[in-house]
This record gives sequence, structure tokens and C-alpha cells, in this order.
Amino acid sequence: MPSLSVLLDSFFYRPDEDVGPIQELVAGTDETVEPVPEEIPEEYLAFRLEGEHYAVPIHGVREIVKVPPLTEVPRAAANLLGVMYLRGEVLPVYDIKVKLRLADKAPLVAGPDASEPSRGARIIVVQTADGLAGIWVDSVSEVVRLRPSMLELAPPGVGGGERDCVVGLGRRKQQLFILLDIWQALT
Amino acid sequence: MNQAGKALAEFVAEGTEILEALGKDLLVLDQQRGTDPEPDLINGIFRAAHSLKGLSALFGQERISKLAHQAEDLLDRLRLGKLSLDDQVLDSLIETLDVLQALLAEASREVSSDALSGRVTELGTRLANLGMTSAAVDEDPLDRLELDAQVRAVFTEYEEHRLRENVRRGVALFRVRAAFDLSDFDTGLAELNSRLKPLGEVVSTLPSSEPGGASGIAFDLIFGAKVPESELAAKLQGTPAQLFALRVRPAAGGAPAPAAHAPVAQSVAQGSRQSAPPSVETPAAPKKPRKKRAPKGGGAETPDAVTESPVQAPLLRAVEQASPEELTQGVLEAMRMGESTSPPRAELAGPPVRTLTDEPVSPRGPRMENESARSLTQTVRVDISRLDALMNTVGELLLIKANLQRMVEASRQQEGSVMLSSKMWGQELSRETRQLERKLDALQQGLLEARMVPVGQVFDRLARLVRRIARDAGKEIDFVIGGGDVELDKLIVEELSDPLMHIIRNAIDHGAESPEARLAAGKSRRARVSLRAEQKGNHVVIEVSDDGAGIDELGVRDMALRKNLITEAQAREMSRRELLNLIFLPGFSTARSVSELSGRGVGLDVVKNNIGNLSGIIDVWSERGQGTAFHLTLPVTLAIIRALVVGVSGRTYAVPLNSVLEILSVKPSEIRTVERREVLDVRGTTLPLMRLARQFGHPERQNDRHFVVVAGLAQERLGIAVDELQGQQDIVVKSLGGRLQGVRGISGAADLANRRTVLVLDVGALLEEGMSLERRRA
Repeated sequence: MPSLSVLLDSFFYRPDEDVGPIQELVAGTDETVEPVPEEIPEEYLAFRLEGEHYAVPIHGVREIVKVPPLTEVPRAAANLLGVMYLRGEVLPVYDIKVKLRLADKAPLVAGPDASEPSRGARIIVVQTADGLAGIWVDSVSEVVRLRPSMLELAPPGVGGGERDCVVGLGRRKQQLFILLDIWQALT
Repeated sequence: MNQAGKALAEFVAEGTEILEALGKDLLVLDQQRGTDPEPDLINGIFRAAHSLKGLSALFGQERISKLAHQAEDLLDRLRLGKLSLDDQVLDSLIETLDVLQALLAEASREVSSDALSGRVTELGTRLANLGMTSAAVDEDPLDRLELDAQVRAVFTEYEEHRLRENVRRGVALFRVRAAFDLSDFDTGLAELNSRLKPLGEVVSTLPSSEPGGASGIAFDLIFGAKVPESELAAKLQGTPAQLFALRVRPAAGGAPAPAAHAPVAQSVAQGSRQSAPPSVETPAAPKKPRKKRAPKGGGAETPDAVTESPVQAPLLRAVEQASPEELTQGVLEAMRMGESTSPPRAELAGPPVRTLTDEPVSPRGPRMENESARSLTQTVRVDISRLDALMNTVGELLLIKANLQRMVEASRQQEGSVMLSSKMWGQELSRETRQLERKLDALQQGLLEARMVPVGQVFDRLARLVRRIARDAGKEIDFVIGGGDVELDKLIVEELSDPLMHIIRNAIDHGAESPEARLAAGKSRRARVSLRAEQKGNHVVIEVSDDGAGIDELGVRDMALRKNLITEAQAREMSRRELLNLIFLPGFSTARSVSELSGRGVGLDVVKNNIGNLSGIIDVWSERGQGTAFHLTLPVTLAIIRALVVGVSGRTYAVPLNSVLEILSVKPSEIRTVERREVLDVRGTTLPLMRLARQFGHPERQNDRHFVVVAGLAQERLGIAVDELQGQQDIVVKSLGGRLQGVRGISGAADLANRRTVLVLDVGALLEEGMSLERRRA
């Protein structure tokens, strides 16, 4: 006959009262106490639009998918290319070339008259305030690590006007990346 | 969801269930108004209040637990006969239920408004004071019963009350003595009890003072029989039971009138709770006041010892601690002044009750929430057998998967000679596919069934509201419910509650006449409002009808003209049906005075929108002087719908089949124009036509014939011209998400096979568009 306290304990025990998260929390606080190194390189996803190199912070990117058949949405905003199905969710796919003045009008990629997407074309899926959204890019090149010292503000004339979604430039040796505020680009 | 959120959701779900049960029982009680309430019913309500108290205390919901405790207290007094069930008590109980519901709503949103807290305190006080008015009681009929004082002393308060009640009603009382062997007395006793139950009421079961043999035990059952003694004796044949009648002296026995059960006296009954006699109430009501078991001389004269639980409301305590003189004084005063002037009564009877319960800060917002008949929880109760069936289907699916796997393995091994058996292989594959299809169908069907709930859930909640609305509007209403067992998807049932409430309110507020007006019109005094559900194929039709004044279409027309909703020219051309349809326009209200209940100008347009969102159709019928009926036709489920797949300029769209009335094939020459607007002549009626390609800005094709999908939603009809029909398909509609909410004419997207995504047309929005076009031109 086990003692009463043992019985009570087993009666009141709930497996979901695990202390795991708390330990993690404690461990997390320990870490921040350590001195912060001055230059933490941040990872950016680099991609191409009309031959230009762009980059966005990778933490905002949820995934990169090949271009599925898109369905055009009638009477939607001009920068909406269409909608796609991603594992049971419907998400809109946007064009940002017009916004960046890389093209006069969004390419026709959905519907019966659409041309085949190029082999390298991808959809970058990002999380926005109102759900997931996809962004059409011509190709995805690499993940680059940029230190704060490698970043510079966008030169005047580039960052202003319609191109307010450009937040700066990243320079790695000879290569230049245009850093985008992806959420701004979607508005 | 985090721990606390999960716990809260659990609490809200369980609390809602308890309140729902409570509401149902109260409704029964309400219907039996005027007759003696069933003791089992009161006990059920008492237990529900008690479990809610325990549950909310466990989750730290103090306001709920306090109010539930006060309600429990009142019910306890009701149960013990210290309080008679009059209108005032019943109304307070129903209001308590409403407040509890509001509290639960606040708890689920994790807020706590002062207004509601105030209402809780006020209501609690009223509940506590209710009992005081019936404190005066004359002689105790129990004294007329020839029962051993010793036996009587061991009764619980409740048992004593039931016995007293039986004596008062002149029920024949018996002592049933039965001796059992110690080894199996529990089964014997249970059997005896089940035999006695249908014959009357077992008031108490006591161990007998006379031992039942060497290895036996004897019991005395105090039993109030509904049947004559001879029948009782016959029914008890074959059991060890012996019958002894308990005699009752005539009423004019001059017994002392000690008012034994008036809750005036209070003593701290320390250690009074010795081993209680076996009683079904014990587990459910541990806080039940009990009489001291220690035998006392002349137990009848001793006032009941009442154990007050420590969480008693302060005010009640204060009242109870007041000296008996003061209290008697109060009671006498109340009696002198008459019931109607006692404060709680006055609050309940007149309109002031509305101002009391109104939220003083923002009268509209929270009020609307309180009044909603929507349930707070997202849970669905599922019969375990349904889940078992689903589980079985999943098991069979796994079998099919294993078969397919085996086939893959086999084909891989004999890669060289695959041509040889390819025909057989194909046959096997198609057999498995068929199996798979069948099982998937079963799975889908099972899941849909699991989502189904009876519409009665909403009907019951509405019935409670009707009662209040009718009272506030000063109407006498017979509310008839039918078809509550018809099942609909949980989602639809929830979305339905608010529209139904609006319609029923309108029926009571505008439809039903006052009793005097009805009598003058030669109708019965009480108006009849009925709510019925009926399954018709893949649809459920819900009818809300009244036998009131009906809708005055001329009044409707004048109102619409005054509000500039239509022009004079339009009004002249409108048929009676079209005029009736004007009540669905936004901003329309026929009520001359804006009452609190309806007539805010939001109502039927909201109803129409909500029904439209559910892919439903609303129809109105009305005859002046005879009444009004609204018919709501709804699909059984929303999750998976059958759709018509159509092609327009090479694009594919899906039209929910439940809004498709018919499909026509039309030659371009048959299309006419009226004021440059294209219309079709369909069997004598003119049908507005919309070319989907033109509307959506797709390049139009020149066809030698169009297919016209005639869509109907609510009152409107519209022909939608498309290029081709591609067939029907079951689709799962996904919403387009927040970013695309603004796209008009599209309600969502669905995945057809082969990674083809199609957009689902929002027929309601397209109809609106067609109509507004028409209006602009007019």
C-alpha cells in the first residue's frame, strides 16, 4: 500500500506542468548577461529582380517555393499577380517590380494567357500582419551574412520617392545588395 | 495556446454546458409555472448551481462562484420549502442565469467590468432577501404524523421537508421495513428502491432499530405512495419488505406552531454533522444544512440548526444576524405594505428593471454582447460512437495504404518484366483507388457528421430571450418550438443565433399586437410566435412565423420614400413582393418609436447579410392581419460544399450549387436590353443578366450560345452568363485571407485536383453589384 502522499501526488500530477520552459527561460537570461559582441553579422536572403541584386533579412522569410500555377484574381490591386495554394492555405502572390520601378506593369503570370515562368523564378513566402503573402522573384541567389559595418544608407535619389521600400545598401567586397523593407514593398 | 488559456477555455466550455443545462431546466420550470414544481427538477437546478460554484471557485472566478453560491442558497431554501416558487423567485433565477452568462462571457474575454460586478452584487442581495418574505409559516403538518420522535430526529432537513410536503398533500405514508443479509444488502436495497420509485417517493432510508437477524441488517424506508395500499402490497410481493402505514392525525390537532423551519434562528452547529444517513443528495450538496442527529426531547420544538457556510454573502449574513424581533417586524411590514411594494418586487415588476440592468457606461456595445444567443465556446460534443466509426475508417485507409505500398514494392522488384503484368497491375491499382475513394468519402461524411449539432441548442437559448423580450414589450406570447433535433453544422448553428434573434424580436415587437388589440381584432388574446426547423434534402429550412398584424406594405413604401431609399418613380412600379423586400434595405425600420429591443435600423439588413454569408436564402411572406413568416433556407454544412465549376474566357470559377436555381442555355439574340441593361425573359419574368467576363474585366469571347447560371440569394435573382460548364464538384472553400478581403465578388478559393486553384464566386456580392447598378441607372 503506497503512502497517501504518493497517491495524492500521482492524482494531482499533470504532465503538462513540466518545468521545461522555465528552465529554458532561466538559461536564456543567463546568456544575455554575457557581453554582446560588437558586430553580429545578420543573415540576408539575396535574390534577383530584373538583373539587380536585392536582399531581405532572412528572419522575415518563411520559405521559398517554386512557382506553382497561379490563379488570377479579377478586379484586385494591380500588384497582385494571383493566388496560390500552399499546403491547404490560400495566399496572395505580389509583384514588387512596379513598385521598384523595374517594370512598367506587372507581368502576366496567372490565367490562361500567362507565359511559363522562367526556370529560376521563385516565390518568397513572408509573414505579414494579415497572413502569409508571396513575392515573385526572378531567382534566389544565396544567403549572405552582412555585418552592420557593411551596411550604408541608400544614397539620396534612390531611397526617396516611390522607392521608400529601399532601406539601404549592403556591400560585400565588390557586390552590392539593395536592402528592402519587404512589408513596405507590399503595400 | 498557453496553460492558462487552455484552462480558461476548458472552464468556459464546461461552464457553458452547465449553464445550458440550467437554462433548460429553468425553462421547464417556467412552463410549469403555477403548478407544484417537481422536486427532482429543483434538485437538478440546485446541483447545477452547485457544480458551477465549485467549478468557478476552482478556476478563481470569484464573481461567478459567489453568485452561483447565492443562487444555490436560494435554491436550497426552495428545495426545503422555506420559499415558495412564485413569479418573483423564478424571474430572479432566470435573471441570475443571464448574469451568469454575461459573467462567463467576460471571463472568456478575461475582462471584468464594474457595471457587471455591480449587477452581481445587486442581484445577490436580492436573491438573499427573497427568502425572507416567506418566513412566516403556520403550523407544522409534520406534527400530525405519528412518527417516533427518535426517528424524526435523524432526518436531514431536506427529508423532513419532503415528508412534511407529503403530509400536507395528504399522501398515504408507509414505513417499509425490509431485512437483508449483510453480504448483499446493497443490491437488495437498490432493487427495492427501484421497485418503489415508480409507485411514489422514497422520502428517507434509515437503518432500522430492530436488528434483522444474526447476520442481517434491516432498513426502514419512509415512503409516500401514489398508489393504493393494496397495489403497493402486490408490487412488493417477493421482497422481504413489510408494510406499516403511518397514520396522520386530522389537521385541527392544535399542534404548536413553532415555525420550525423559518431561517430566523441561527446557531453554530459544531460537530453537528455526524455520519449522515444514506442519501442521494449527500455528494452533490455537502454544504446542505443538516439537523442535529443527537436525539433531542421534543425535537419538533427545537429550531433547526442551520450551518452557514463561511462564504455567505455579507448582506445575507447581516440580515440573518439581525434579532428575530427586527426580522419579524420587517416581515410584518412587508406583509402590511403588500407584496408589490417590497423592494425586490418593485424592481422586477416595472420598467425600472431595465435601467438597473443596463450598462451605464456604453449602453450599446456590451449590451449587444450580453443579449447575444451565441454560445461562448467553440467546442462540439461528439458521440463516441461517431468517433469510433471515424477511427475504423482511418484503420481501413491504413490497410489500403499498406496494399499500395506492397504493390510499389512488387513493381520495383520485377522492374525488368513490368510490361508482362502491367495489365493486372493496372486492374489492381484501380481497385485500390476505388476502395480509397469509398473510404475517403466515408471519412468526409463522418467528419461532417461529427460537426453536426441539433439546432435545438440555439432554440433553447432563444426561448429564454423570448420570455424576457415579451415581458419587456408587454405582449403575451406563446412561443412554439419545433424540429429542434434537426442537425446543422456547428458553425452555421452559431452564426444563426443572432439573425434568428433579430427576426424573433421583430415578430414580438412589431408583429404581435398587444392583448387588447388582438381581442379587438377577434383573435385569441395570446399571440403565437413559432420557430420551426425542417430538413429538406440538402437544406434546412427554418421558419419564424407569427400570427400578428403582418407587414403593411404601403407603410413600408412610405417609410422607404421618406428615408430616400427609393424614388417615387421606383415606388410606383414596385409589386407587393418587391415592397416587402424593402425591409431588408440597410437603415430601414418600420417601428414608429425606436424601442430598446428592435427598431434601431439595424436588423433585417444585418440578418440578410448574415444569412447570405452562410450561403442561405431568406424569404418573407406576410398577409396583413394574419401574420408574417420568414423562411431561412440554409445549407446543411459549410465546410465542404458542392459547386458548379464554370469557365469564363479560359478562367475557371466555382459557383456554390446551393445558390444556383437553374441553368439556361441562351442564344445571343435572346438577350434584350432594358435601359441599356441586359435582361433575359425567363418564362414571363424578366431576369437581369450579368456577363461574368465583362464584370471581371476578362477578354470577352464571341459565343454562339451562352450558359446562364440563374443564381438566387435571399430575394434577388440574377443570371450570370458564362462560356462553359465544367461540371460539379465537392470543394473545400478557403478564405482568401486578410490581404484580399477587399476583392469584391470572390468569397474564397478552392483546390480542385491537379493543383488547380479556382476562385469561388460570392453570389451575394455579385447580386448586390447587379442591384446597385440598376439603382444607379434608375
